[in-house]
Amino acid sequence: MENLTLTKSDLDAISPRMVLDKGTRPTGYREVTEDVVSIVEVKTPAAWWVAFVVSFLVMCMLFGMLAYQVATGVGVWGNNSPVGWAWDITNFVFWIGIGHAGTLISAILFLFRQKWRTSINRAAEAMTLFAVACAGIYPVFHVGRIWRAYWLFPIPNTDLQMWQNFRSPLLWDVFAISTYGTVSALFWYVGLIPDLATVRDRATGLRAKIYGFLSLGWRGSAVHWNNYEMAYMLLAGLSTPLVLSVHTIVSFDFAVSVLPGWHTTIFPPYFVAGAVFSGFAMVMTLLVIFRKWFHLEHLVTIKHLENMNKIMLVTGTVVGYAYGTEFFIAWYSGNPYELFTFQNRAFGPYWWAYWSMISCNVLSPQFFWSKSLRTNIPFMFVISIFINIGMWFERFVIIVTSLHRDFLPSSWGYFRPTYVDILTFVGTFGLFMTLFLLFVRFVPMIAISEVKGVIAADKHRNLPQHVEAEMAVKHNEIMKVVV
Amino acid sequence: MDNFNLDPGLWAKVRNIILFLFLVSAAATGAGFFIDQKQFFHSYLAGFMWATRILLGALFFLMAGYLAGAAWNVTFRRFSETMAATLPYGLILFIPVALGIHDLYHWSHADAVAHDAILQGKAAWLNPQFFMIRAVIYFAIWTFFGLGIYRNSTAMDKDKNIQHMHSNSRFAAPGMLLVFLATSFAAFDWLMSLDPHWFSTMYGIYIYAGGGLASMCTLALISLGFRRVGVLKNSITEEHYHDLGKWMFAITVFWTYVSFSQYMLYWYANIPEETIWFKHRFVGSWLSVSKFMVFGHFVFPLFFLITRKTKRNLTTLAFMAVWLLAMDYLDIHWNVMPTLHPTGFAPHWMDFTAPVAMVSFYAFFFWNRLQQHAIVPVGDVRLYQALAHHNI
Repeated sequence: MENLTLTKSDLDAISPRMVLDKGTRPTGYREVTEDVVSIVEVKTPAAWWVAFVVSFLVMCMLFGMLAYQVATGVGVWGNNSPVGWAWDITNFVFWIGIGHAGTLISAILFLFRQKWRTSINRAAEAMTLFAVACAGIYPVFHVGRIWRAYWLFPIPNTDLQMWQNFRSPLLWDVFAISTYGTVSALFWYVGLIPDLATVRDRATGLRAKIYGFLSLGWRGSAVHWNNYEMAYMLLAGLSTPLVLSVHTIVSFDFAVSVLPGWHTTIFPPYFVAGAVFSGFAMVMTLLVIFRKWFHLEHLVTIKHLENMNKIMLVTGTVVGYAYGTEFFIAWYSGNPYELFTFQNRAFGPYWWAYWSMISCNVLSPQFFWSKSLRTNIPFMFVISIFINIGMWFERFVIIVTSLHRDFLPSSWGYFRPTYVDILTFVGTFGLFMTLFLLFVRFVPMIAISEVKGVIAADKHRNLPQHVEAEMAVKHNEIMKVVV
Repeated sequence: MDNFNLDPGLWAKVRNIILFLFLVSAAATGAGFFIDQKQFFHSYLAGFMWATRILLGALFFLMAGYLAGAAWNVTFRRFSETMAATLPYGLILFIPVALGIHDLYHWSHADAVAHDAILQGKAAWLNPQFFMIRAVIYFAIWTFFGLGIYRNSTAMDKDKNIQHMHSNSRFAAPGMLLVFLATSFAAFDWLMSLDPHWFSTMYGIYIYAGGGLASMCTLALISLGFRRVGVLKNSITEEHYHDLGKWMFAITVFWTYVSFSQYMLYWYANIPEETIWFKHRFVGSWLSVSKFMVFGHFVFPLFFLITRKTKRNLTTLAFMAVWLLAMDYLDIHWNVMPTLHPTGFAPHWMDFTAPVAMVSFYAFFFWNRLQQHAIVPVGDVRLYQALAHHNI
């Protein structure tokens, strides 16, 4: 085992745990606490207020639009016959998809022992919860009489005198999403407890009382940690099938039908990959901004961003595989309706939506094959926005282009969103950003205790002494970040 | 510390066993050709698909490991690499499939196509010439990546130059994409087109998922076989077996997810041209096989492998690896045979000799390659981490 010649990138490759460091700022236990907790302790920055007021106003617009819709009727949306489902479900699926990155990072990457997840999981999980909240608005308000929305749940009711249709994937959605929302919230909160206790320990007065209440009496004893680690692992194990199930069942909403363009067997894994893809794009968009804003570049390093870009490259390509397979099988099946639907997508009246989808989702992540591009922050920011747009278009393409030309040409139509459609959707971004800004203001946005766990684990990595010696010598060189 | 080189005595002994198995099973299967030609080709195809998918599964997870920077798998990674490097010999095994095209594939008969509008529509894809060309392309892709990674890794044994590791990671990224594409189209060509009217977009993923599972089981069994004779006892430990068991569990669930989705969506929509494929598998005793698969390929391994104990106990893990390999063969059998035996499950003795012949054919070349280098990638720096691998 002698004569190992190690260069900078070699050491980098075999010591993934050193990902945290930057070389320019210390990352000891104390510094990590200081850098993360101080964000919620300092006087509220003016920029935060500006962002918050803007988001809040946009959120108010959402509530205004929803109130108008409830008062007037679902007819204020652009849905028509044959396009009975349009922006409502497009936006629902869009937001649910965004939510997938959080649980993927916190649960699946945890099971895969990917230590780098610790710097980004907290923010991603928070984002999951807020995205699910945005998604939930659509089915609830689409029922029209929202005071009857509880009929979605199979609870005994005297006014309805009948049961929900258990054979409908829409009902499965109710179960899948409410379970997912609940478990994600639990998972997020369990992870938060030690960090809330850290905030408590540094606070005084009412603040200490509130954080003390929220940290559930955490004292950091060995027993606490032991139970905590077990609970965390069990929740990770539970969340893993949940992440996959949610978008699988969302895909069933379409795939169980007999409609060409919706009914195809690849839908479940294809939707899950797309959801992860869009979720990572949204995490990227937010983290690029927030790590800069709150000076967390030494904790959310270029390596984290690069890894996320790699995941986007993989999932974007998986989605491309699904688009291609669908098209191929549409031809191969010999079913003229199936083939027509796909030709109509690409060359029909909605061609612009289809090609926006292809260029944003399949082509734009391909730039990440290049290391220099996937470590270029302005570039990845732009691409992440493209992917967000492309994944919205994907749902629009699937839903609207499959519906707008019915089997009989006499039933062909075209969908145009109304201003209510548009402003409601813009409004959900207001809700999302309002919640996210509250989150960064009041909750440590990086999982302090987990990051410290990674720092500790670094001391126990098993490399031969001469490799360690060489790593120590080249430490600064390895950790130098080129931005 | 373990000895990382294969003992020549052991090597010769096992080589003789493999050779004996191959000669006997190949002779029997070859004789079957003269007894029942159609049965021969179908049994052959099932065995060929089963054995080749194991190697393809190994190649996929090998590349995924390189890409993810995995350290835990390094102690048994040479087995995956050697399995992947055995793929080129599959082209020889493919020759009888190509020769038996008229016995296997209805679409290869010009007169059948002439009376079938749907097959005419597919003729641009499903025609014998293009079928052969595609097969060569698939093997070219598999060979390129399988051999490329093997060569890099073995070169690293000698010069200890970590650049080989990086170059394999670079190989692996386009490799995963191209190998996956080739394998899913191979699944369309070699299995799905047995029923040329039927189609499913999930089919490629479904067929590859089983291969991934079979490769994990095979890796566990190869490692356990070595352990029995005292080789790599301290290098491939309970911790590594535990993780292999986790993968077996995970891919079993994934396979179920994929095959259930495929079935459920067709059952739900209930369109005759789609349900027909499952209907053929619900005829007579095929229905019992279909039901048994739900139990044998999902429920039983799920509950068996869910606990930590069975994954860390080498006897139970070995049992499950054998069981799942058998289930995986049954899955392929269930995919291939209803075209030949539409009335019911009718296993033939060739269904036993053909898979053995295929596996021993690949095993012969695998074993030959394995003794040319250390049986562990000794030049890989991650070996240190792998040897110290520990589950928390």
